[in-house]
Formats: sequence, C-alpha cells, structure tokens
Amino acid sequence: MSSIKEKFNQISPSEFFYRNRDLAGFSNPTRSLYTAVREFVENALDACDQKGIFPDVHMSIKAIDPEKPDPKPYILTVKDNGPGIESKHVPLAFGTVLYGSKFGLKQARGMFGLGATMAILYGQITTNKPVTVKSSTDGKIQDEFELLLDIQKNKPVILKHNTKEVTKRGLSVSICLEGDYAKAGSKIKDYVYETSLITPYATITFDDPKGEKFHYSKIVNEMPPAPTIIRPHAHGIDVETIRRMMVESQFEIPNIDDAMVEKVRKDLGLTKNNLSFTGIMDKAKKRWKTLSRPVRVVISLMSFLKMDFDKLNKIRIEDIDVPNKKLYYWDFGDSQSKSVDMDPESSHYKQLTGTVQGETLTTFLTKRFQRIGPSTAVKFAEFAGFKPEKRMGTMTNEELVKLSDSLQKFEDFLSPDPSCLAPLGEEPLEKGMKKFFKPDFCEVIQRPASAYSGFPFIVEMGIAYGGEIRPGGPHVYRYANRIPLLYDEGSDVVLKVVNDTDWSRYKVKGDPPFVIVTHICSTRIPYKTVGKENVADRQEIERELRLGLQFLSRKLAAYMSKRGQAEMAKKRANLYAKYLPLIAQFSTELAGKTKEPNYKKLLEEEITVDDKQD
Amino acid sequence: MTTNKIKDRKQKANEKQQNIVDALKNHGAKVYEDLENGQFPKFSIPSRSVSNIVYDKKIRQYILGNAAALRSSRNSSQLRSFTQLMWLAFFANRLTQEKKSSTLRDVYYSSQAFEIEFEDQSESDNIIVDLEAVLTKPREDFHIFPEERSSIFGDLNIEYTIPGYEGKKMNLSNHPDGYAIGPSLTTAELVDTSAEIVIAIEKGGLFTRFVEEQVDKKFKSIIINTGGQAPRSTRTLLKRLHDEMGLPVIVLTDGDVYGEHIAMVIKSGSANAAHLRELTVPDAKWVGVWATDIEKFKLPTIPMTESDIKRCYDLQSDPRYQEGIWKKELDVFLKIKRKAELEAFSKYGLTNITDKYLPQKLELAKSL
Repeated sequence: MSSIKEKFNQISPSEFFYRNRDLAGFSNPTRSLYTAVREFVENALDACDQKGIFPDVHMSIKAIDPEKPDPKPYILTVKDNGPGIESKHVPLAFGTVLYGSKFGLKQARGMFGLGATMAILYGQITTNKPVTVKSSTDGKIQDEFELLLDIQKNKPVILKHNTKEVTKRGLSVSICLEGDYAKAGSKIKDYVYETSLITPYATITFDDPKGEKFHYSKIVNEMPPAPTIIRPHAHGIDVETIRRMMVESQFEIPNIDDAMVEKVRKDLGLTKNNLSFTGIMDKAKKRWKTLSRPVRVVISLMSFLKMDFDKLNKIRIEDIDVPNKKLYYWDFGDSQSKSVDMDPESSHYKQLTGTVQGETLTTFLTKRFQRIGPSTAVKFAEFAGFKPEKRMGTMTNEELVKLSDSLQKFEDFLSPDPSCLAPLGEEPLEKGMKKFFKPDFCEVIQRPASAYSGFPFIVEMGIAYGGEIRPGGPHVYRYANRIPLLYDEGSDVVLKVVNDTDWSRYKVKGDPPFVIVTHICSTRIPYKTVGKENVADRQEIERELRLGLQFLSRKLAAYMSKRGQAEMAKKRANLYAKYLPLIAQFSTELAGKTKEPNYKKLLEEEITVDDKQD
Repeated sequence: MTTNKIKDRKQKANEKQQNIVDALKNHGAKVYEDLENGQFPKFSIPSRSVSNIVYDKKIRQYILGNAAALRSSRNSSQLRSFTQLMWLAFFANRLTQEKKSSTLRDVYYSSQAFEIEFEDQSESDNIIVDLEAVLTKPREDFHIFPEERSSIFGDLNIEYTIPGYEGKKMNLSNHPDGYAIGPSLTTAELVDTSAEIVIAIEKGGLFTRFVEEQVDKKFKSIIINTGGQAPRSTRTLLKRLHDEMGLPVIVLTDGDVYGEHIAMVIKSGSANAAHLRELTVPDAKWVGVWATDIEKFKLPTIPMTESDIKRCYDLQSDPRYQEGIWKKELDVFLKIKRKAELEAFSKYGLTNITDKYLPQKLELAKSL
C-alpha cells in the first residue's frame, strides 16, 4: 500500500500529461498537428493581446521529407511580434509542464503553458527532436535555445543556447512532430481563416507544406481593450477553490533564523545595542504601528517565551496550539521539547492566533471575492450560519462544504463584474465580417454582460447576407474567447438556437447566401467535452444567444423585404422591356400598319416609377 | 336548293370571315394607338367566373352576365397574359387571313416560335377561350379546331370552301368509315340531302353498326358519332344541319347520367362555353337510353359509382334539369342507382338496337 502511494507521488506533471495526452488533443497525427497549430497560434495572439501589440503571426508547416506518405514528421514554426520571454525564463516556460495557480480571473484563449508544452512533449515523443525557441524582449538581442524535456524529472535539458543581434522583438517556436497534413490540412486552413475573422486587428500568415500561402492582413486599426484580472465571483466557486484560497489567506510562522533576527533588530533600531527582554518589549510597544507582520509575530512569540535575541537563537518554534493556548518549542541546549502557556487576554495572543487561523470570514469574503462589501459579507454570514468573525483557519471540512454551498445559494451577491472580459466589439466584428464575406447586408450586436453560475459572459453576434456568400446557409461560425470552434457542431448551443429559428418568418427562404457569426466571451466557457469544441446549453447563455439572434434576424427581415421590393421592381422593369416590344409587334400587324408604335415612352415611365419607389 | 341560296350562304360565310378579321383589326388598332399615345393598352374580357354564368331561359342556354375583367398591360401580373392574348389575336388573324387551320395543341407549340411562353397547353387553351370571349365568337371562326375528331355518315352533299378545294363537291355516304368532322367539313357548304333526321350517337362502335345496318337508308338519316361529349365543331355542324337544312336532331347515349348530359350539352351548351352562342341546337331531342328504358327493355346493368351519384346530385341543381324528361330520368337514375351501356341491347342480338329499339324511339321522338 505505502509503496504504491510513494510511486504515485513520484509522477511528475509532465509524466502525467504524457500518459494522458489524449485528453489534451494529441490522440493521433491528424488531431495532434491541428492541436499544436492551435496552441502556438493562440499563445502568440494572447501574448500580443496582453501587451496591446497588433499581432503579426507567421505560421509555417514544412515536411522534412515531402516524398514520404502521411503521417510523417513536419516542422511547425510559429513566429510572433509579441513581448518575447526573458532569457532566464525560456527553459522553464518551454521545458517544464507548469501548474497554473492563479486565482484571478480573466479571459484568455488558453491557459498559458499547458497546451504548448503538450505540443512540445508530443513532438519530442514522436520525432525525438528538440524544440527551438528564439526570443527577443528588447528587439536587439535574441536568445536561441534548443531544449528537450526530461519527462520524468519535469525539467528542461538545454542542448544549445546562443545569442545574436536582431532588429525585431518577438518569439519564435519551432517543433518537429509527427503529423498528417493530408487529413488535417483543410481543418488547419479553416482554423487560420476563421481565427483571422475574429482577430481583425491581427495579420496572420500561413505557409502550408504544399507551398500555398495564406495571408490575412489586419483589417481594423484598433485593439479591443485588454481584459483586466479580477477576483472570482462567489457563485462560481467550489470547495477546492476555497481551500486553495485559504492557504493564501493564512500566514506561516516566520522561520526565526539569523536573517530574521537581524531584520527584527533593525526594525526596532537595535542593530548595535543588545537590550534585555523587557527592554525589547518596551521598544516594540513604542514602535508597534510601524512594524511589519512577520516582525510582530516574532515579537509576540518572544513575549510568551520571555527570551531575548541570544536565547531565541538557541530554540526552534515547533507549534502554536491555539485551542490549548500553549506554545511548543525545541530547546537545542537541553535537546528537548518544551512548552509555555499563552495568556489569551494578551494582545500578542491575538496576533498569533490571527496569524495561524487566517482571516475572519468577512475579511476573507470582502478581500478575495468581487462585488462583496462588508455589509453583504455580514448578511451572508448570517445566511450561511457562521459568525462573521469566524476564522477561516478554524473551519472543518464540513464547514467548508457548507460555506461553498451557501456561496452558491446566496442570492444577494451582485452579478459578476464583466470587466475581465474582452469581447471584440461591434465595429471590429462588423468590419471583419464585411471584409471576409463581402456581403450585401451585415449587422452585428454585442449583448450586455450576463453571468451563469458566477462566471460573467458576453455574447457578440453578426449576420451577413448576400454578396459573395455562397448559398446553402445559414453558415455558422462559432467562436469562444476568440477561438474558432470547428468540431462537434451538432451538439452546440449556438446551433441549437440557430436551428430553432424559423427563417421563413424573417423572409429568408430557399438556399440563402447567409452567414451567422457568434462569439461567446467568458472567464470560463462551459464546454461540453474535453475537446473544447462545443458549448453546453446553459440556460443563461442560450437566452443571450436567442435575444441576439432575434435582434439580428429582425434587421435581416427588414433588409430582406427592402431587397425583395427592389428585386421585384427590377423584375417588373424586365417584364416590360420583354413584353412591350412583342405587344407592339403584334399590334402593328393586326392594325395593318408597317411602322411599330413608339412604346419607348412607356418603358421609361415604368422605370422612373420604380426609381421613386426605391 | 337553288344556286341563289348557295350564293347567299357563301356570302354569309365570307361576311362571317370578314367580321372576325375586322374585329381583330379593330382590337389591334386600339392597342397600337394606345402604345403610340404612351398609354398602357388593355382589353375588357367578359368574366367567366362561376358567379357570372347565368342560365337564360329565353334562349335556353347558359350565358355570361355583365361582369367583365379588365386585362391591362400596366398591371405587371397581367402583362404576360395580355401579351399572350395579343399574340393569339395576331396568330388568329394570320390563320383567318390565310385560310389556314390550327388546333389547340398546334397553337400551344406555335407560340414558341414567337418567344411567347405558355406553362402548358391548358394555359394556352385558356387564352384561346379569352379571345373567344373578347370576340364572342367560337374559336372555329378564327380557324382553331379541336384535336379530337368525331365523324359523320349519310346522304349529304357538301361543297368545300377551304383553299385548294373550293367548289369541290362530296357526298358523305361514299365512304363506309364515315368522314372526320374537321375544319374543312365544318366550313363546307351544305348543298343538299335526302335525309330527314340527324341521329347523333355517343359511341364509335354503335356508329359503325348503324352504318353496317344501313340506318341512314332505312330511316333516311345522317348519322353522327359524337365520340363522347360532342366537340365544338360537331356541335356547330349539328346546328347547321338543323338550321340550314331544317333537319331534326335526336341524340342517343349510354343509359347513365353522363349520357344524359351529353345530350343536354348538344341541346343547350355547356357552362364552359357560356360566352358563346351558335353552338346549341335547342330543339335537339334526347331519345335514350333513358333510365326508364332500363326497366322497360330489361337491359343488363351495372351499379352506379360514387362519382356517378355525385354527378346526379350536381345536375339536380342545374336549372335545365328542373322539368320534363330531364328531371324525370335523373330522378329515376338516382332511385335505381344502376346504369346501362348502349351495347346492353346486344344481349338480345347484335341488331336488336337498330331493329327494335331505334324505330320505337324515332317514333316517340315525334311526340317529344
């Protein structure tokens, strides 16, 4: 039993991912090539977005041996003009599988690091070739690394590192991986095409293995505002997240080493003098307000131990037992564990318990969640059946579950703050759609922010009709957080809403040349599957999609009836141009005349009448 | 018959022809003028909708009421049918001027040469009826004849008037299969005849039997096969035989409700042709097979179908079926709900119908 446990503990994150690579989209050469492209392109775009740089992303896929049949090794290179990564971080960023441990929320395409590292890992497994990373943060010096991952140790192995002078900032990542472009090609092309539609502020180039070049230039000259990192909303939280937040809210007992003692002395102004225990306490009392938390903790400990700095050097704190009001320490001189009682009335006792037991519930709520003020926090505590001053550190497992449940159920929290979202915006979306589809009609809408179970989201949509759009619509382009969703259309909430629409009600009939673009932005998109290709039909999201689509459909209907009138007028004019000459011809013979009557006036009249109607 | 009379008739025929040509020219000139004056030309067409078809007791046929529809070239939804009508007038004018004949089907196909589109033949047939209504003349007058042919046999001398045959004479008892009633026969002069009655019979088989049995000689008759519902040209010929030669017309049909109505249409026309006169023989007599004959002659019968019965009820509300044998026989049909074919008489021998039934009925007809 214990040996099995030990073994499990030894698995590194990279080993874990290696064993579960199917989950991350690296199940076969076709899917892997596509996923790798996505991960690198999305990282590049995210990096530029965060720094407010207009992305200029160049992607290329080259076969190592073009003659070989698929699947075969390809070199995938993605180069951007983003901020780059500092030289010292490169090996860790690309040579380890990182844990993301941010509690803050903001919208981004992917979780940084994970996907890209998976791609590198997959490349290394299938071709045994290193990843090449070129990075320049200042546009002058570029660091070039060749790295391998040590899967078992989750550590980078640097094969090569050199620097050279360059003129451009940015990051370039190049991996060699087993892929099947014959099968993945069309999806990758779709991905690039659709990505450039939803990032009209970016220039994206793709050189495919067959020598084809795809170039999508920047269409708009404004970046959408970057999302801000915000605290989570109470409704979107689970027990595990609370547990992890609590760890952050509790303070460790400072390790009392020479450096620490030195710091306490300095803060008390005692670098030279060596005061007695009571002298130290007096001094501390006077300067208490200026002291930092770790220093206060040390002073408090000393107050119970009744020791000066010399004595303090000879012991180690073992435990602070709050319920029994005892302080345990190890005496190096006597080589044994000792304890002293703590006076619960003393201010130092409160200092220590506060440190050990973490924040009170109300402080925890107001400081670590968005949109909770002190009065809401107190109301909530009452609702959940906790004392407002309850220390987070004293919560049992059962209490944590109760807290988590109550956070979900309490209805008086304000709705989530959408400032962490980065919708594209109506104008860029419309410009992008017009440039891409060259339609006769285009209309877009951004719905107001809404939320589902504590996660804010915004729905943006556009409809385009006619022009160069191919018939057979509606063609639906789905996006989530600026990522095109290409697979698993059928079960998606967007498709559900589109298919529920009776288009004939909006004067759209037959085989219409007709496009719908939807973009859902959220700090957490409720994907149905691990593949992250279809969005679940959350009621709140469905509602927003439906309202958005209804708005656009009404606009479309108005356009269609106008268009119908214009078409009708044109048809009518054609009719007259066709039939009046015939009538003239027949009447001429019937009347026994030789010259045809002058019917041209009628044609002109008819046309002018139609012009007025327009 | 004197030559004077024939001349008279020839003149009449020529006048009729000229009337059509003039009417067409007038309409053409009106349209021409409208176009020249920057006006959208239009036609007034008597409405043929059910609400505008009324029964005229005086002339004993259905006629159109006063309602008329305006077909204007200004209205884009009528422009197409207006043009079709103009084309047909133009085409009819050529036919009449050049003394050429056409048929409904021929008209439909001819349209394609003039970039006039008809969805199908029924659309072009409709336009032909429109022109009939505008001119109040049957299409035969502007040389459009039915496709289906009925036939005639008997001692009747005629003289052709169609180009290439003008003045050529013919006796219609020379060929035992009978003569097809087509454009040349319909327009021919009826010179003289020894016959004293016209027998119109519904079926080709019985027509042949009648010829074989020399019904023409035995009963001094002209025999006409209507081939089911009598085509317009046949009805025109029947009318001419009655009006010009002074011959009574009797009609012999199957013993069912459809047979009864075939006789009625010969007598007083159909609602479909309510816009036309000159197609009816109001004095024509239906002599059988009556519903009462079924019992009387003990004819083998078959049951009436659902649609037969429905047809009976339909006709019961027709004003022409409100009295006399028309009402009586219809009621009996409905009562017995059985029907008999003309061929039913074969049960009593192939010549039973000509030997026994026909003489009785001819005798009866005198008193009808």
